[in-house]
Amino acid sequence: MPQPCTVIIFGASGDLTFRKLIPALYNLAADGDLPAATNIVGFARRPKTDDSWRGELKETTTKSSRSGLNEEIWGSFAPRIFYHQSEFGNAAGYQSLAKRLDELDAQSGTRGNRLFYLSVSPTDYEGILTQLAAAGLSGTKGGAWTRVIVEKPFGTDLSTAHALNEVVARVFREKDTFRIDHYLGKETAQNIMVLRFGNGIFEPLWNSHYIDHVQITAAEPLGVEQRGPYYESSGALRDMVQNHLLQLLCLTAMEPPTDLRADSVRDEKVKVIRSLRQMTIEEVGTHVVRGQYAAGAIAGKEVKAYREEDRVSPTSMTETYVAVKVNVDNWRWANVPFYIRVGKRLAKGGTEIAIQFKNAPNVLFNKAAEPLGPNVLVIRIQPDEGISLRMQCKMPGNAIRIEPVKMDFHYGTSFGKASPEAYERLLLDAMSGDATLFARRDEVEGAWKFVDVIEEAWHQSENPPPLCTYPSGSWGPKESDDLLERDGRTWRRM
Amino acid sequence: MALDTAKLGEPVEIGQIGREIKRLWEATGSAKTRASLINFAIYCEAGEAAERNTELINEFTRTHACRALLIIAEPDAAETRTRAWINAHCHLGRAGEKPVCCEQISFVVEGRARNLIPNILFSNLDSDLPLVLWWQGEFPDPIDEHLWAWVDRLVFDSHLWRNPTAQLTLLLDSLAHTQSRLAMCDLNWTRSLHLRQALAQMFDHPENQPILECLEHVAISHSPEFRSTALLLVGWFAAQLKLELQSCEGSQLLLAAPSGKPVTFALTAEAGRSISRCEVRSDKAAVEVVRDGSGDFFRVEVRLPQGRTYHHLLPAGNNETTSLLAEELALGGRHRVYIKALGIAKALL
Repeated sequence: MPQPCTVIIFGASGDLTFRKLIPALYNLAADGDLPAATNIVGFARRPKTDDSWRGELKETTTKSSRSGLNEEIWGSFAPRIFYHQSEFGNAAGYQSLAKRLDELDAQSGTRGNRLFYLSVSPTDYEGILTQLAAAGLSGTKGGAWTRVIVEKPFGTDLSTAHALNEVVARVFREKDTFRIDHYLGKETAQNIMVLRFGNGIFEPLWNSHYIDHVQITAAEPLGVEQRGPYYESSGALRDMVQNHLLQLLCLTAMEPPTDLRADSVRDEKVKVIRSLRQMTIEEVGTHVVRGQYAAGAIAGKEVKAYREEDRVSPTSMTETYVAVKVNVDNWRWANVPFYIRVGKRLAKGGTEIAIQFKNAPNVLFNKAAEPLGPNVLVIRIQPDEGISLRMQCKMPGNAIRIEPVKMDFHYGTSFGKASPEAYERLLLDAMSGDATLFARRDEVEGAWKFVDVIEEAWHQSENPPPLCTYPSGSWGPKESDDLLERDGRTWRRM
Repeated sequence: MALDTAKLGEPVEIGQIGREIKRLWEATGSAKTRASLINFAIYCEAGEAAERNTELINEFTRTHACRALLIIAEPDAAETRTRAWINAHCHLGRAGEKPVCCEQISFVVEGRARNLIPNILFSNLDSDLPLVLWWQGEFPDPIDEHLWAWVDRLVFDSHLWRNPTAQLTLLLDSLAHTQSRLAMCDLNWTRSLHLRQALAQMFDHPENQPILECLEHVAISHSPEFRSTALLLVGWFAAQLKLELQSCEGSQLLLAAPSGKPVTFALTAEAGRSISRCEVRSDKAAVEVVRDGSGDFFRVEVRLPQGRTYHHLLPAGNNETTSLLAEELALGGRHRVYIKALGIAKALL
């Protein structure tokens, strides 16, 4: 159980606060994992009272909480929620916040422990952090701690990420800075290390001798919905690959850490980032496919093309799909490509890591005209978190007929208790000062360095690779299939 | 006939199918086991097919653990919309302990929504498992080639087509265009499986092989509505014996052996099972396969020179649709002989 603290959320009237942060804190309270004295203070521009904000939060928590809403629990949780109205650049607002936090410390016994959550646009970071420092809110007193959680996007390229890190570093030490990537808070993402290093059977096979390639997929049937302007400036590469997918790649590819301390784990992830083979501008065209969804059908309904979406340019060149062939140049992964794909308006939603093993030797059963399929270990990150292993099996009967079968483990049905939401785990870890599941500065900057060259080839080179289109509801552009077909491989069936 | 959705199970929102399936299994707890080895999709158009296919899926899941996807298209419906249902088929396992359950996801696709079918299929597959698509009825022209992307086995019954030649041409062209490697599984071909096996076995014996070498005539008796089954059988003879079609006049076909020797085929329509009799004759000997009165067996008579006659009783299989399907799925492979047989049969169908 972490020490009690006050969680101060900047961007209190934002969607993330309503849909994720407050439901996560509520569920922690409902499960008895949140210290009873914990306070929550929302900081935002819009005028609201404590009561009106609590009312709004109750309504959205009822809809978004994984355990629903228990009136009794909410009755004891809600009085610890407060609203503080101020402009982000108003020094007086921070002075009054400091006063209010001191009062809450005195009332609740939170001892000056503070966790600032920046759920705002990165352009607001500098102003908020500067004001926090000026108001004396970033410092610590009497053994208390002060930490900051920053949401993605953490920069838009290496130079902006570096600048942002400098801004944060001026106010908070690296050990008190928690760059959140909610994928890392998911049960199965955490389980990757347990699967690899807690079982004797997998790690000996986890290398180029036995693994043919790895596929990491983050697919969603949704379009950009109301996020057109954000997506126009971001695109799938910056929105998903630089952070979530490279983080999953790191967890899959890293060496066993010496221990489970945050920096031991993150050191190993950084080594993977440093081993990613940097592409040249010319290589981007052959190793990366970018696509954009055209009109099509999703869930039995016709849907429009990206360029027809609300507040999206009709001539937009923003990618909604990316497939990348990534090479990890180290001893373990020599000649084992990692194929990453992410896309919107795809046939099915889901984030999965598929470890595809090499085929059995081409003798005995494999001599048949149709080669047997490979063994595939799939780690499902979301939804329906779990693990499955595909293997070949003889069908009952007198003849040797071999078909694939799948052993499937589902978190949802295997344990009586539902998995906590990613934000629950991450908030709790930040309160406890455990940064294992948060990205370190060098990880973030290393990942930007890897994707920057792709962005440069797309947007600044003289001969940019084409932007391919794909029908909504399909599995992406044909060029993406070709990317694997050139290597004699195919995307697996999700 | 109006569509009766009562047996399709619980209506669900299409976008929430994954979640609803998960809820369905969570609700059953550990009292039941979910099993799935294939994705088994059925496409049909007739409204009354909903109930028939749900019963068929229920029967099928007794022996084939699968995720069943039933797509019922109603292209003539005034309104364009898509609806979905989920249900489960549970059967006691052979050990008689825990019920083993399979899920069925049903879709009714009305009006112009037929072009949504590839997405419906792709978005509801059980990952990493083969996809068997049973297309009941005629293929639309043009065929949406996205369909073939992930189909491993395409099941159809050419016997039910109004114009089998046109349908096969459409299908083969489409598959060639997409370079699809799916296995074509024609239930009309499976229908003659046991007859072909019975015939082929008779020529394992070296003494009988001269009948084929000196083949003169093949007589096939078929039920009037199963002429296409008989023509596929002709195609089989032609493919295996390298015969070439010379002429076709009604029910009389003239083929030529590689040596140039003529071989005649006579097709006779008569009441009974799909194919009730097949006689293979040379100038000196003959093999005759006749389905017995019960329909369960073939009575085989081999008539050799010097009046020597041998009799065999061999299983004739069951021509019920579920049995044909089970037979087909038990076979595996790509049916190369079928493709060869189509070489001649397609022109005759």
